[in-house]
Amino acid sequence: MTNASATRGVEAHASAPWGIRLDGVSVRYPNGTVGLRDVSVDIAPGDLVAVVGLSGSGKSTLIRTINGLVPATSGTVEVGGRRVDGASGRRLRETRGQIGMVFQGFNLAGRTSVLNNVLVGRLAHTPLWRTLLGAYRREDRELAFEALDRVGMLPKVWERASALSGGQQQRVAIARALTQQPRIVLADEPVASLDPPTARGVMNDLRRINEDLGITVLVNLHLLDLAREYGTRMIGMRAGEIVYDGPAASATDADFAEIYGRSVTAADRLDR
Amino acid sequence: MTALTVPPRPKGRWMPWTAAAVIVAVTVVMCLPGFGVGLDIAAIARNWQQGAVRIVELLAPDWSFFPRTVGPLLETLQMAVIGTAVGAAISLPLSFWAARPTNPVGWTRAVLRGILNVVRAVPELVYAAVLVAIVGVGALPGIIALVLFNVGIVVKLVSETIDSSDVGPLEAGRAAGGTQSKINRSIALPDAWPAFVSQTLYVFELNVRASTVLGLVGAGGIGLLIDAVRTFYRYDQLSLIIVEILVIVVVLDTVSDAIRRRLV
Amino acid sequence: MTLLAPARTAALVVPARRRRPVRAIAWVVVTAIVVAAFWSADIGWSRLGDLPAEIVRYLGLMFSSPNWSKLPEALWQTWRSVEMAWIGTVLGILIATPLSLVAARGFGPAPVRVALRFAFSVVRAVPELVFAIIILSVTGLTPLTGALALAVGGVGTLGKWGYEAVENVAPGPIEAARAAGGLTTQVLRWGVWPQTAPTFLSFWLYRFEINVRASAVLGLIGVGGIGDMLTSYTQYREWSTVGMLLIVVVVVTVAIDAVSGRIRRRIMEGSRVR
Repeated sequence: MTNASATRGVEAHASAPWGIRLDGVSVRYPNGTVGLRDVSVDIAPGDLVAVVGLSGSGKSTLIRTINGLVPATSGTVEVGGRRVDGASGRRLRETRGQIGMVFQGFNLAGRTSVLNNVLVGRLAHTPLWRTLLGAYRREDRELAFEALDRVGMLPKVWERASALSGGQQQRVAIARALTQQPRIVLADEPVASLDPPTARGVMNDLRRINEDLGITVLVNLHLLDLAREYGTRMIGMRAGEIVYDGPAASATDADFAEIYGRSVTAADRLDR
Repeated sequence: MTALTVPPRPKGRWMPWTAAAVIVAVTVVMCLPGFGVGLDIAAIARNWQQGAVRIVELLAPDWSFFPRTVGPLLETLQMAVIGTAVGAAISLPLSFWAARPTNPVGWTRAVLRGILNVVRAVPELVYAAVLVAIVGVGALPGIIALVLFNVGIVVKLVSETIDSSDVGPLEAGRAAGGTQSKINRSIALPDAWPAFVSQTLYVFELNVRASTVLGLVGAGGIGLLIDAVRTFYRYDQLSLIIVEILVIVVVLDTVSDAIRRRLV
Repeated sequence: MTLLAPARTAALVVPARRRRPVRAIAWVVVTAIVVAAFWSADIGWSRLGDLPAEIVRYLGLMFSSPNWSKLPEALWQTWRSVEMAWIGTVLGILIATPLSLVAARGFGPAPVRVALRFAFSVVRAVPELVFAIIILSVTGLTPLTGALALAVGGVGTLGKWGYEAVENVAPGPIEAARAAGGLTTQVLRWGVWPQTAPTFLSFWLYRFEINVRASAVLGLIGVGGIGDMLTSYTQYREWSTVGMLLIVVVVVTVAIDAVSGRIRRRIMEGSRVR
């Protein structure tokens, strides 16, 4: 390994994370449902933002407009100064290559190895023929190993993804996102399927990514304590609109009641 | 940056690649002239002209030929229907004979299954060709060939369904003192009936396709006409026949689907 | 005092049995079709009486002493048939797989999808023999014709099984691959293929089994292989050779089915890490 590789690795883009900017974004699905209503929000590079709200409040739609998985019907979506709305083809793929995403259902390809799953993070940065044959470059593999090491999953690198537990799979998914050397990490309800101790572990990983690597992180959460504990900033959504935007630590139960449109119950807390 | 401890790669990673290499090698060998099939691209390119003329003829069916095709088409349909009906009548009792819950005698089941495996291994057209030499040209050898084909398939599929179905009701019948045949008739039959009808109709669809070409070996139906028109290179007439086959298959598949839902 | 109610003295009211006229009509239609078929068929029904005895006689002619001297030739022709089946399967896979990916919902544009599915149904409805007849105007009566006919015919079924398999996968890994910025081909390679690989391999093998039977049939019109040999010896009425040939066909088909079935079971039970 040469000296140059010391500046490669997952920290390479730590100094240049991207901000996110939505301006008057509305999303209307083909079946008529409105996902977002005229949403505007500005997220600074390096922020860790928690988005809370009930299902159907628009959190999933919001996070998916940022990398274009859901097209915005109107308004502009910008990441790091690049327009996402209206982008297509190569430009969209390049932008997506800089945005890592973590899903509630982990979304790993169960029948293949952990390594192959993590290398999916390099798809946008690797020529087609290499990806088809699974013949990734050495630097890409090193990136994957490093990302797995960061989340503590390197010993499992050759194992079949479906052989891992839920928490382990989510960590591999985070490693997949990290392998992209992302400027932003989006997490759509990453811990909703995990038990409390594992959920805390995964949230710690996300916070470490934000603090150590400086990457902008946007997390959808449905549990109050996690939102208060892990976000620096919290955005509350209800019926497709932003109804709360402020520091996470100082959000009260009354604020949550406002966001949810009902009073807070035990089900909204992590530890019951 | 400290060195990472990467665990060792698992053995056997070369296996899928070796398998793929073997498959490619076998395919290449099979394409060689002489030992193999002789994939001679040059020859295809040369004869292409000739073939192209014929294929163009295929695009313009000779509609005036239609009247001469009606008789053979009807014969095709007759063969398919009769073959399915006779096959169904024979398969029903045999299916019970071949399944464990309805036939506790192990060795008779094994013998029957063995015979049916053998019968199923021969394609129906081969039966048809041999039968034509035995009973003569016409629809009869075609029907017998279809019956042999049907019985093999229907008995296998229906007996598998019976095998995997709930034995509870049958035990109740035995406990009440019924003989095996009475149990079969009153309990097993209604249970197996939907599967039987379904498989019979599936086999009917296969029979329709098969009976269109049985005539190519002399066993009746439109196949005889196909053979005639191709010897005279009347590809426009062949084209009409192909259109008719398509129509028949599509219509009968639809009819069979409609009946399947209502018969059960 | 017993718990049972005393017997009624008035007549019992039995609910009426539900009548289903549609079912009865369907039965009538089916019976009518069957009867019409029997009645109109131009078959010498009188000959049926002799049939069982004739069959037994011919079985004796064929199998009492099969002609093993022609076995080497039979094995060579079997090899030709298997070649036809193999190449037909490989070619069919090469053509059908990309087409079935495009024909799957979510990967190809709607008009192309509809057109492809229609093409698959049309190809499925045409018997392979007819394809063989068309193709032999270009390539003649050779095993190559048989292979090409099996390839074209296979595209119909392989195409259908293909797009059905792709449409049945879990959507999650596909979304993840897209979110990472993958091209559609990359998404197919790492989002769809790992999930469907055992299904594809399994029906590719199954198609090979079907093609082995079909290759014997194609031989009957003269493209070569064991079917060709069968036609000749049947026409010469050399029954002891025909018997031997039938035995060869049965043994080879059962053997290939057994091996292929074993492999398919192994594949479905779980593939190793790639």
